[in-house]
Amino acid sequence: MTAGNKFLVGVFDDDDVLLKAVTKVRESGIRIHECYTPFPVHGLGDALGYKRSKLPIAAFMFGMLGTSLALLMQFYMMDIDWPMIIGGKNYSSIPTFFPVTFELTVLLSALGMVGVFMIISDLRPYGKAKVFDLRATDDKFIMAIDLAKNSISIDEIKQTLEGAGAIEVNEKRGQ
Amino acid sequence: MKQAKKRYWKGLEELRNDSEFVKHADKEFPEYLPMEEQSGGGSNSRRDFLKMMGFGISAATLAACEAPIRKAIPYVVKPVDVDPSIPNYYASTFIDGGDYCSIVVKTREGRPIKIAGNTRSAVTYGATSAQVQASVLSLYDKQRLQGPLMNGEPTSWEQLDADVKKKLSRGGNMALVSYTILSPTTQNAIDELLAAYPGMKHIQYDPVSADGMLAANEASFGKAALPTYNFEKADVVVSFGADFLGTWIAPTTYSSQFVKTRKPTEANPTMSRHYQFESALSLTGANADYRSQIKPSQDGAAVAQLYNLIASKVGGSRVNAPDAGEVKFLEKAANDLLKARGKSLVVSGSNDPAVQGMINAINNLLGNYGKTLDIDNPAYYRKGNDRAMEQVVSQITEGQLKGIIFYNCNPIYDFYQGEELGQALSNTDIAVSTSDRLDETAALSTHVAPDHHFLESWNDAMPRRGQLSLMQPTITPIFNTRQAQSTFLTWADSPETDYYTYLRNSWRDAIFITQGDAINFDIFWDQALYEGILEALPRPLNQGEDSSENSSAASFVGNVNSFASSISKNYSGSNEGLELVLYQKVGIGTGRQANNPWLQELPDPISKACWDNYVAIPQRMAREFGLKMREGKTKKARVTVGERSVVLPVLVQPGQAPGTISVALGYGRTKAGKVADEVGQNAYPLATKVNGYTAYYNTDVQLELLDEEYRIAQTQTHQTYMGRETVIQDALLSEYKEDPKAGRYEFKVESHDGPKDPSDISLWKGHRYPNHHWVMAIDLNSCIGCGACVVSCQAENNIPVVGRQEVINRREMHWLRIDRYYSSDEEQVEDPDYNKLEIASDNPEVTFLPMMCQQCNNAPCETVCPVAATTHSSEGLNQMTYNRCVGTRYCANNCPYKVRRFNWFKYHDNQQFSDVNVAMNDDLGKMVLNPDVTVRARGVMEKCTFCVQRIQAGKLEAKKQRRPLVDGDIKSACDDACPVDCMVFGDLNDPNSRVSQLINQEKEGRAYHVLHEIGVSPNIWYMTKIRNKDAEEEINA
Amino acid sequence: MEVTSAVRKPLVTGGKTVHDVTVDVCRRVEEKPTITWFLAVAASLGLLTVGFYAVFRTLWDGIGMWGLNKTIGWAWDITNFVWWVGIGHAGTLISAILLLFRQRWRMSINRAAEAMTIFAVISAAMFPVLHMGRPWLGAYWNLPLPNTFGSLWVNFNSPLLWDVFAISTYFTVSLVFWYIGLIPDFATIRDRAQGIISRTVYGALSFGWNGSARTWERYEAVALILAGLCTPLVLSVHTIVSFDFATSVIPGWHTTIFPPYFVAGAIFSGFAMVLTLMLITRKVYKLEDYITINHIEMMNIIIIVTGSVVGVAYITELFMAWYSGVEYEQYAFLNRATGPYWWAYWTMMTCNVISPQLFWIKKIRTSIVATFILSIIVNIGMWFERFVIIVTSLHRDYLPSSWAMFQPTIYDLGVYIFTIGLFFTFFFMFAKFFPVINMAEVKSIIKATSEKAPVVQETGTTTLPEEEMAPTASKN
Repeated sequence: MTAGNKFLVGVFDDDDVLLKAVTKVRESGIRIHECYTPFPVHGLGDALGYKRSKLPIAAFMFGMLGTSLALLMQFYMMDIDWPMIIGGKNYSSIPTFFPVTFELTVLLSALGMVGVFMIISDLRPYGKAKVFDLRATDDKFIMAIDLAKNSISIDEIKQTLEGAGAIEVNEKRGQ
Repeated sequence: MKQAKKRYWKGLEELRNDSEFVKHADKEFPEYLPMEEQSGGGSNSRRDFLKMMGFGISAATLAACEAPIRKAIPYVVKPVDVDPSIPNYYASTFIDGGDYCSIVVKTREGRPIKIAGNTRSAVTYGATSAQVQASVLSLYDKQRLQGPLMNGEPTSWEQLDADVKKKLSRGGNMALVSYTILSPTTQNAIDELLAAYPGMKHIQYDPVSADGMLAANEASFGKAALPTYNFEKADVVVSFGADFLGTWIAPTTYSSQFVKTRKPTEANPTMSRHYQFESALSLTGANADYRSQIKPSQDGAAVAQLYNLIASKVGGSRVNAPDAGEVKFLEKAANDLLKARGKSLVVSGSNDPAVQGMINAINNLLGNYGKTLDIDNPAYYRKGNDRAMEQVVSQITEGQLKGIIFYNCNPIYDFYQGEELGQALSNTDIAVSTSDRLDETAALSTHVAPDHHFLESWNDAMPRRGQLSLMQPTITPIFNTRQAQSTFLTWADSPETDYYTYLRNSWRDAIFITQGDAINFDIFWDQALYEGILEALPRPLNQGEDSSENSSAASFVGNVNSFASSISKNYSGSNEGLELVLYQKVGIGTGRQANNPWLQELPDPISKACWDNYVAIPQRMAREFGLKMREGKTKKARVTVGERSVVLPVLVQPGQAPGTISVALGYGRTKAGKVADEVGQNAYPLATKVNGYTAYYNTDVQLELLDEEYRIAQTQTHQTYMGRETVIQDALLSEYKEDPKAGRYEFKVESHDGPKDPSDISLWKGHRYPNHHWVMAIDLNSCIGCGACVVSCQAENNIPVVGRQEVINRREMHWLRIDRYYSSDEEQVEDPDYNKLEIASDNPEVTFLPMMCQQCNNAPCETVCPVAATTHSSEGLNQMTYNRCVGTRYCANNCPYKVRRFNWFKYHDNQQFSDVNVAMNDDLGKMVLNPDVTVRARGVMEKCTFCVQRIQAGKLEAKKQRRPLVDGDIKSACDDACPVDCMVFGDLNDPNSRVSQLINQEKEGRAYHVLHEIGVSPNIWYMTKIRNKDAEEEINA
Repeated sequence: MEVTSAVRKPLVTGGKTVHDVTVDVCRRVEEKPTITWFLAVAASLGLLTVGFYAVFRTLWDGIGMWGLNKTIGWAWDITNFVWWVGIGHAGTLISAILLLFRQRWRMSINRAAEAMTIFAVISAAMFPVLHMGRPWLGAYWNLPLPNTFGSLWVNFNSPLLWDVFAISTYFTVSLVFWYIGLIPDFATIRDRAQGIISRTVYGALSFGWNGSARTWERYEAVALILAGLCTPLVLSVHTIVSFDFATSVIPGWHTTIFPPYFVAGAIFSGFAMVLTLMLITRKVYKLEDYITINHIEMMNIIIIVTGSVVGVAYITELFMAWYSGVEYEQYAFLNRATGPYWWAYWTMMTCNVISPQLFWIKKIRTSIVATFILSIIVNIGMWFERFVIIVTSLHRDYLPSSWAMFQPTIYDLGVYIFTIGLFFTFFFMFAKFFPVINMAEVKSIIKATSEKAPVVQETGTTTLPEEEMAPTASKN
């Protein structure tokens, strides 16, 4: 998040309240920076107007990659590079290629997608967590509003937040 | 890891234990290190510690990296006839007492490593036996003496000679005891010794004696010799307890003759018929068409009865024979014999002159003399005279003998009065043994003058009148031994003490002159050496019966009635008591080579037990005892004969005649060496005398089952083939005559277009073998199960010996095994009672099925190997790549024939196996290893390769000579060793090869694949077993 | 507005709030380990050490230390392997398939179940390596790497090679799936952490998670797709393991029924093992409110189902043997039931087919003790199933001359013990330092299902929960 900026942080203690609040706040023309919740709140994304994630496509692409790699590898090793007579079968006996192909498809698809997920959402070992309120991972629901990005006055936003059911509203500097 | 420190043979010095060498051998560096004495001084300074630690670490580091041979000695001047990696072959002769085989020895870099039969021989026809095959390992036996001994102390030959001469020249009664002497020249040497020391007599005896037979022939024909048998000329063979295919006198010769009559083809669907009357199920009995169980006490009576049956038909005079009781098939045999007069043969294993006389009479009645057996050209395999030997024993006990010389014999172990002899031996001033090891006899002798191994010796042999053969050394003597003949000549102060020269001379004098055509003796000699054999009749030497007597046809002069009367004294059909039979095993025989691990681990063809002898009891008796053998688990029992008794494990033996038990000779050695000592019990003392001659049975024994558990090492614990027709396919000759496919089980698979042969249904198009296609055909009808191939395979392919415990763990390593199946009383119906099928008949039909890797074209083992360590070659071979194998054992599991063998442990250089697997654990034993075959590492799978090293060698040889391979260039080791030629190996792509012709001819006949229906399409064909029986007794004769 | 069906027992009892969840779960991680925990760890380490000796001797002296022979090339080694892999199925299955079916009762058990999966697969993987004659080479020669002397590759025809791919893929994907789920909970612990060490460690482990709505959005997508991938994967793994046998020529192995039969058996044994561990964890960590009788009952129901499937498979095998008319097949099964190893066969039958049927009785189904005992019996039974398949098929196959018996040695036993020790050591470590319950997920259902929720009413029904309604109800 944009470091240094001043933020208004609204703390809610119920996911439903938060949901309503989000809609309300946005209707009143305030641009919400981001919400932080201890568990996935269904519909929050839509309420915040996020687009659906593209991860499934990534998964599919990586899967296809796995399939083709597996098949290439097997045909190359068994038939092209060093064909050997094994059990009287053809050098490339397709039926026996299925298991490995399947496994590699799943493997690459899973790893690829998760990798993408990690990168785009900036998750990595020792990654620095940028939190406004430690309780966000416990039982509180946080709505952060970047004052720099809003023309509306602080008090007005405060009131809207409190009106929307925030149990407390603090000012914080972004890290 | 449990293993001896890796040691390599650092040149001849170490081998010879050269004292100078031994002094330095244990030093890491030749130069002098001060450490010992300082540490000896008790005070190790810190610097010493550091020094040693430093050294230790560096030494350990060095030891860690696997170094190649540390001292390879290159040839400075290369011997003409030794090319590294090129084998040389020498014709020679195997002689072990009276046992004879003409052989060809394969040597590599001056080391004999393999023995094959000499096909030029008119005596053994290139056949070998397990014992002959294994004898090459006995050469490298660490237990052999490394030099002469005097009163147990090592000494020099000079001192020994001096002392022996001194003692011998005191005169008095002396004896030179030996087994049968087959060699005329050796006989000469002995005679010189006898001449030098008047009062010394030469006594020959045989561990298993044919004395009675000699006597019988003396009585019948005036010739104390064995007849020459021609089994190949006999249409009907009747044997009374003579195991002529396994152990009786000259089995290699007899079996190869016999089997010539057992190969029916579509063109000529005939074969001989063979009756066996015996007590213990012998190899011969297992191959008989009709096997009748009789007790030893019935034997003579049965023979006499047969005589009467025949005599009455041919108008001869009947004799008053005792009632033999109920003897199955006796009349049938008589009728068949009569139908085949002059084309039949009756033999007996008995050592009773009366019985043998009666046998002679029968053969005489049938007019077989001069046809199927020939007394005018006698054989000399057995000359032993038991009574003379007994005299020696009694003389010694009475202290009448001043000195005694044991020439390569071990009477204290293998003569039934050995015990007495042993106790009394101290009565003599001097007892000399020429034994190659400190055996039971040598250990009690005052002097030991160790003889060479036969592969280090010069000698000749005359197994049969007019059949000579030469023995030549194939390696320089390994130890400081001396050929016994030279020893004798030395003691006799003969002008010529070098036996080689002596031999040449005697051949010049006695044989060369009989050869009209040969001009130059050296050429003649070289030719004879090259051939290994010579058909000639030596000029009269001082060897009585040999050639002095003219070969005019001797006529039968025996007195049948006296035979009969003596028979009625000793035999009857009414003995109720338990009877004991003493027999020899195909592998161990008389126990001469007992210290040979290959023979110890060779499973008995019948019981499939190894590393033990045991009491074989009939199934009926086992049922009475309530004794069931599972996985070799059994109880021990005490066998008591008079005051002698032995405790042995019990083995339930189908086919063992009711009321009889049997024990094998040749075990229970106490001083043979690490391998043989304490293996089994010595049964020689249990022999008795009947009619004044040694009898290898006893009609009055007690058997007491003890409550002591024991496990016999058996390589096969399941008796029957469970009625599985895809495994064993057999038919009667009569059926075969109608339909060449008789007995074939042709499995068909239902398919959309009618029933199909399994091999026609496949997902894959398969692969063609453009160049060669190696296959083998095995004739179940010829295979007698003798096991020569098993040992040959072991020698050729460096197969480890694993010892009793590991065989009990079912981990024997044999690549080639001979499955033995008994028939069961439960006939093979649609859904049989499997529990009943598991039980063998009390007198079963036996089928031998040699089983090795089938080299399947669609090999299940190849498919499942994750690392492609086993693949198929473009010549149809199922290859095993040892150094790629990671040992998942999946291939072995998936092998329907269970022929793959896994290296469960490190069998080489491993103390755990050093006592049994000598060929891979001591530097001497390692000399027998075949350099062309890898010694497999631990954790690696191995199996039959069709002797791929021989295939490659053959192809290279042909290539060098710029010619295509011809059939016969390549022979697998098993095919090579087979005395009955039941295996045919060759190239299926070559239309002229024996095997391809045989298979094409038999495809629609006897040829079948084991487990054909699972579609692995093996490259080994089997020919159905044909039994020459009449239909009625089909099941369980 | 969250809407939940009226007929559902609370998945979380004891009126827990979201904060309670955090506290209850994190306390285990934060407080000092209990004596019982130390004892448990000591015990499993003991097993590990004892077992290690057997492993050492096997590696040092060779496979000969085991009871195998020329006829029976596999026995305990592969039996244990298949047994462990089977156990390793439950976790992924619970989290993946039940997630797809939106079975929310999975939520409080899936974390531990997945952990169990991972550890079981590790234990299983010991055997393919240890059973090799030359593991030091086999360990990497089984991978498609070029041979030192040129391009000698692996053999893709071999089911063992398929195993290599299947097991490693399964392990990797399960691990990822498991870890993704752990990240938010690690974050929770991190944010509560007092000590600097735990803060850094859990900070590192939590990958800098801050629970932003955007990440949660992607997180859910990932979880769903991973679940979708894991479902065929989990089924494929035991299918491929079963190919080891099904593709062979050995009567008793060579059967097409194996894949479904093995999978069912795997789920069966997996759930049994999950129950065994759950009941212990629950007791030790006082998690009765999260792992309720309701959960246990659900699991037991699945055990009845899979157990019966396995039973049907056994019967089908017998029928096919008779119906095929193949002599060897018929003998193989006759031999199983009546041959020298009849006792193994009938142990298998009783433990796997008869005993689970007891769960039809609600009293047993809902009794902790009964469940615990039966879960262990089932695992014994499943071990014998594999023993029967492997050993009794091999010991009498085609040629009677090679028929033999198998006698295990202490080293067979030792290696088995080694893996058991390994498994429990891992599990207890997990139980102490990881959140044993998926907090984030449980929190998300607290309101809907805890007793506080006004709409819930007690009813005696035990039908499986119906599909959850789409969360879009909260749109406005």
